[in-house]
Amino acid sequence: MDKYDIIILALASCFILFMLASLFYLYVAVGNSWNLVVNALFNSRIVGALWISVSAAFIVGALAIVVSIPTAYVLTYSKFRGKSLMETLLIEFPQTFPPATVGLVYLFMLGPGSPINIAYTYPAVIIAKFYVSAPFALGLTLRRFREIHRMGLDVIAESLGGKTKHVLLWVLIPLSTVDLLGGFSLTWARAMGEVAATLIFAGAFPWKTEIFPAVVYLASQSDPPLALAASLIAAALSIIALMLFRWIVGGRR
Amino acid sequence: MSELRVENLSKSYGTTKAIDGVNLTVSPSEFLVVMGPSGCGKTTLLLTILGVLRADEGHVYINGKDIDALPISERNIGYTPQDFGLFPHLSTYDNVAFGLRTRGFGRSEVYAGVKAMLSLVGLEGFEGRKPNELSGGQKQRVALARALAIQPSLLLLDEPLSNIDEVTKAEVRKNLKETIKKTGVTTLCVMHDPGDSFELGDRIAVMYSGKIIQCGTLHDLLKKPVNELVSNLIAPVHRFDLI
Repeated sequence: MDKYDIIILALASCFILFMLASLFYLYVAVGNSWNLVVNALFNSRIVGALWISVSAAFIVGALAIVVSIPTAYVLTYSKFRGKSLMETLLIEFPQTFPPATVGLVYLFMLGPGSPINIAYTYPAVIIAKFYVSAPFALGLTLRRFREIHRMGLDVIAESLGGKTKHVLLWVLIPLSTVDLLGGFSLTWARAMGEVAATLIFAGAFPWKTEIFPAVVYLASQSDPPLALAASLIAAALSIIALMLFRWIVGGRR
Repeated sequence: MSELRVENLSKSYGTTKAIDGVNLTVSPSEFLVVMGPSGCGKTTLLLTILGVLRADEGHVYINGKDIDALPISERNIGYTPQDFGLFPHLSTYDNVAFGLRTRGFGRSEVYAGVKAMLSLVGLEGFEGRKPNELSGGQKQRVALARALAIQPSLLLLDEPLSNIDEVTKAEVRKNLKETIKKTGVTTLCVMHDPGDSFELGDRIAVMYSGKIIQCGTLHDLLKKPVNELVSNLIAPVHRFDLI
């Protein structure tokens, strides 16, 4: 092992330790009082918030895939002025735009005083999370569609008489399954973690729009050990879900 | 059997003329090879005829009908690219069946069509194999069967032997020629190798810098090359005494 191997190993170890430290601390901190985890599991407000977060993230992931496919198709095959700007606005910008601002914009656009008022409802949770998370699915889908286009497989399909539906359903989508699943997984994960936009646009009404991070925040003020226990449940759930996605994607690769 | 006529076809990329006023006629059932060095515009010519690229000038006719405005899917042109372009997620059967299914044929017609094509290219028993389970020569035959299954008016081949190893090349070349002759499909093939071109082509069009310099039979090119460039390009044929 030379000095470069040691430097590489040291830097990688620092990063790994940093990333795992909080999770490990969470496990150790709760470790002495597992009855708190049981309490959290039977706390209807915590379970309600967990359900809202998980279900909303699944809906957002599914919707993101449904709209990413046609959008990626249009961006791959159409030529128009400002296409690059359009891609920036659809993919990169939502990832850098402060989520609190997103929530505020939606609150004015679709809140009290506007013709359509859906603020502080479950659909508001979906919309806020969708804007922040869906670009992950679109980015992956678009990259894959362009790769297939560069390989010329769409042209072959067309030369064989394939129309748009054949190219999309028989070539692009089947060859993008791994990327679509990866896009769903990333979108789901981002939607699970999204807080600010949802809080501002949908509020935090228990059993209605209160998402998991909000309930943890509130519990941390009144009952910090319970908040930690709830966090452990959420972390375990996320790890299981993400590992499951990874396994599904790995199986199809 | 169809006739292909290319009239004054030009295509530029920026200021570079990839093809420059190309005129060509491929008679019904003829196998014409467009031969030239890399970068001379052969693939651009092929993709313009196929409809992937839009010509700046000129027209493409099949049986006298101008096909410029037709989308790729309605040109009825069979095409096999250099890397064969097999759909990696589909079996041999499904690759060959693709064009028959897009045309709305029923299950039994698709089955009969695929069987006939696989028999034509000598790949019976390979129906269930995926492209990654096939050799280069087998991939080429699947691509050919797939292109021929739609009974195309014209077949376009882009460097069909470039991904075939030298050991099996002679056999693959022979099979390719025999298969195409059996179907009688009008074929335009682009190649860079003079030996392969002369073995396969009924006529050879020599292309250089986007222009067709000379078009004729092997005999014409060897006996009356129009210039030194053609002489140099066909020199390997003299050297290896292929005639």
